[in-house]
Amino acid sequence: MMLAQRRKLRLRLRDLAALSAFSAVALSGSLPLFVIGLFGLAFFSSWLGKRPFSGRTVWSVLVLLAAALVLFGLVFRGALDLVVAAVSFATLVTGHRMLSEPTPGTDQQVLLASLLLMAGAAALSGDVWYALCLLAFGTFACLALGLGVVEGPVERDEELPLSPVLRQVSFGVTIALVGGVAFFVLFPRLSWNVASRPQGAGLLGGTTGMTDRVRLGGGGGIKTSARIVLRAKLEPMPSASRLERYWVGRHFDVFDGREWRGSGTDKAPQPRVLLGEVRDALVQRVELLPAYDSRTLVGLSQPVYFGPATAYTSGAPTPAMLVKSTYEEVRFATEATSYSYVVHSREGFPGEDEPPERLAELARAPEKLDPRVVELANRVVGDETDPRRVATRLERWLRSNLEYSLELEESDDPLPHFLFVRKAGHCEHFATALAVLLRVRGVPSRVVGGFFGGERVGDRYIVRAGDAHAWVEAWVPGAGWQTFDATPDDGRGSQPAQLLASIIDTVERIEELWRSRVVDYSIIDQWEFVRGLIRPPAGSRTDDEPARAARPATKTPTRAIVAAVAAALLFWLGWRRFTRTTRRHPAAGFLGELERRLDALQVRRKGEELEELARRLQREQHRLATAVTAATRRYLEARFDERPLTAKERRSLLEPLS
Amino acid sequence: MSTWRERWKRWLRPPRTLKTTRVGRTYLVLTVGIGLGALNTGNNLLYLVLGFLLSIIVLSGVLSERVIADLKVRRLLPEGAFAGEPFPLRYELTRVKGRAFAVRLSEADDTLSGWAWVPTVPAGAPVVARADVTAPRRGPLALRELRISTVFPFGLFEKTRAVQLEDELVVWPRRGFTCEPPTADHGLQQGEHGNQRHRDGSGDVQGLRELGDLEDARRVHWKKSAAVGRLLKVEREREDRQQYTLRIEDATPGDALERACEETAALTHRLLSEGNDVGLDAGGRRLRPGAGPGHEKRILSALAMLGFQERSS
Repeated sequence: MMLAQRRKLRLRLRDLAALSAFSAVALSGSLPLFVIGLFGLAFFSSWLGKRPFSGRTVWSVLVLLAAALVLFGLVFRGALDLVVAAVSFATLVTGHRMLSEPTPGTDQQVLLASLLLMAGAAALSGDVWYALCLLAFGTFACLALGLGVVEGPVERDEELPLSPVLRQVSFGVTIALVGGVAFFVLFPRLSWNVASRPQGAGLLGGTTGMTDRVRLGGGGGIKTSARIVLRAKLEPMPSASRLERYWVGRHFDVFDGREWRGSGTDKAPQPRVLLGEVRDALVQRVELLPAYDSRTLVGLSQPVYFGPATAYTSGAPTPAMLVKSTYEEVRFATEATSYSYVVHSREGFPGEDEPPERLAELARAPEKLDPRVVELANRVVGDETDPRRVATRLERWLRSNLEYSLELEESDDPLPHFLFVRKAGHCEHFATALAVLLRVRGVPSRVVGGFFGGERVGDRYIVRAGDAHAWVEAWVPGAGWQTFDATPDDGRGSQPAQLLASIIDTVERIEELWRSRVVDYSIIDQWEFVRGLIRPPAGSRTDDEPARAARPATKTPTRAIVAAVAAALLFWLGWRRFTRTTRRHPAAGFLGELERRLDALQVRRKGEELEELARRLQREQHRLATAVTAATRRYLEARFDERPLTAKERRSLLEPLS
Repeated sequence: MSTWRERWKRWLRPPRTLKTTRVGRTYLVLTVGIGLGALNTGNNLLYLVLGFLLSIIVLSGVLSERVIADLKVRRLLPEGAFAGEPFPLRYELTRVKGRAFAVRLSEADDTLSGWAWVPTVPAGAPVVARADVTAPRRGPLALRELRISTVFPFGLFEKTRAVQLEDELVVWPRRGFTCEPPTADHGLQQGEHGNQRHRDGSGDVQGLRELGDLEDARRVHWKKSAAVGRLLKVEREREDRQQYTLRIEDATPGDALERACEETAALTHRLLSEGNDVGLDAGGRRLRPGAGPGHEKRILSALAMLGFQERSS
């Protein structure tokens, strides 16, 4: 490859390394837009070979000074965080160096500035794409540096094979990455992760399945989302692969004709919230994942007890406090990336005690209500007064006369539009219609937001964002709050495409691994790792409990030995491959055999070359002189004059020396 | 031959020396900074970056060792070298296994400036690299050690291995400036200098020799020149060809001797280029007048050694 091609390749690799580092920072979402725009401009200019700062030192200094002043000004005004400003400046410096004279020195500056960006990105965010960016940056930067090194201090326009360089550097990068991971795993952590920023909801973003208001006319796009928002382990665990049950999140009891909201009042934070009798309750150990993106606790219908709870925010788990909002929800007191808690539920739980005045309020229809709605309620219900039967009649009518649809139209008065014009809507429309019709007939009712469903994966049930659902609870005297769902069956669960669901499952699994194994990795995990090599896992005592207990607690570290031997073997194989003879000359084997025989005959002095030995033996008129001279001459011919040795010749030359 | 002190120093010296390059220094500062940040904050991603950076340092050490460990070097000396002028010093590198990259060769003697660069050395095929080296002074120059360095793979560190490789190079004196042509040797004039027709190019052919730089091109024997590929001049009986014996009276080492050597070297070159025979009488050594490039080298070598035989004997 000639100089121009080599230089182009080197610069491309350098620019890709810088882009990888920039992506790590930009994906954190912290960088100001103008910085992102300027770097993008610099990257494309550099890619196209345009370098406006080449040879313009004064302009370079002025531009960087101006950038520093702008960023400092933003920090001074409080518009920009200091860390973000520093990373932004490093981004601008990287872009600036990319547009300067392309020398090996400039390449190194670009790569070092990019390294700063990687460090900055580590402080700004901790999502899984950081690993991809680090991998890409490491690979591209090492290749660019390797090419620059082989080019030498003075670039020469001569043919230079690059594939051996790239091969060796690539192999080196792989080793370095493995070494980096080994260091990461084994280097003792001396402090908790205290400085990193709160993580986002991951590569796929958060969901908005659980909001504090339900507004009619909103989109139903969430039904197609396959993101997993919660995982739950039930005790006892049902055997069904699909859990067709309601997960209660939040109650909405005030309707203004357009949107629902809660009327709860917050109580003081506490570690546990008890709502009812917990005897014979179904226990659920719930993990709310980052995609959930809300603080509301969820439990199978009906939850009677919440707690204890743990919050996870970039590092060690911390105990979380719970806030009970009366008649509305139980939520976490503090913001975190994810949570885990225990919830107990009982199917027959009538709900909290409701005073008569509150029930009267929940039975009052909205003031400005379309008369057609009242007329509809009366027509469907007829003379029926029993709340349960009223609710059942209305539920059945809505299910059989209206259609489920996610395609919505905007309307000023969404409820009549749904009931009489469009005659199709999603779960929020059905729930609103049922609740309002019940209230028209004097039955206290409220809308519940949560999830419906759950699919069995391993030893847990998972709930996706698409399982978000709204339904109705009606007050039945003597039985308490009873669940009614007017939404047709096909509109209750999530409706993601199969392929999309499997892709998202994979991404979620990777993100989970990244969080648990990398971002939140701590000295406890290190201890567990080392102990795992020596002892069996702590949770492995299941079936054969007595037999296992009979064994000694401390075992021979077989796993550690096997792992060490496997690692050593792997290293040795890699090293052998790495250091093997690339082009062994056919005559080398003959030389080796010749030298071995001469050593066995003890005629060769230490360090004596073959030619010197032949001359000496001639001088001394040694009996082997002729044989050694012939073998030496023939070896030199075979080695350097391209006159290969035949097997027969080889045998005849070596025979006198045996 | 090295002294016991040099041998002792050599024995005490570590087998490899490591020098941080400019970018390597910045890299180390960043690594330390990121390490402190990781320790201080416990940010696992910083630990991840730190692990990668430290691995790169270790890998640099391993790969650079692999490059310089298995290299065999042979030094190919030039026929001669003038002091103060760059001269080519060639090195033949061979490698039995693997491939070496980014190899830099230089003499351990710090008075010799210049180095050779080899981008890659494949296994089994020797590679010759050339260094343009400058020696500051005339005289015998003992080359004892060679430095093989590499900044492979990432240019962060320069690892050097010293190789014992003893050779001796005679550095000719710098060619100084001369304006006074010396007096030709009396009675040794050849040809017909006094004859009025001595420049007509006629007369009996005495022989053929290579045309000097300042000689008249009309004397070129074109047929013979075309046959051998060099410009050959016809020498005739009537040519104006004189003999000179250049003398250096005082061979005491010092500035005066150096100046005299440089002037004599320049004069030798000039007179030989003009087609004269030049001899030397200096420091008790006599060279009979002669001509041609070989004779010039003999004179230059004698001048280079002037004042040194006495010191070594």
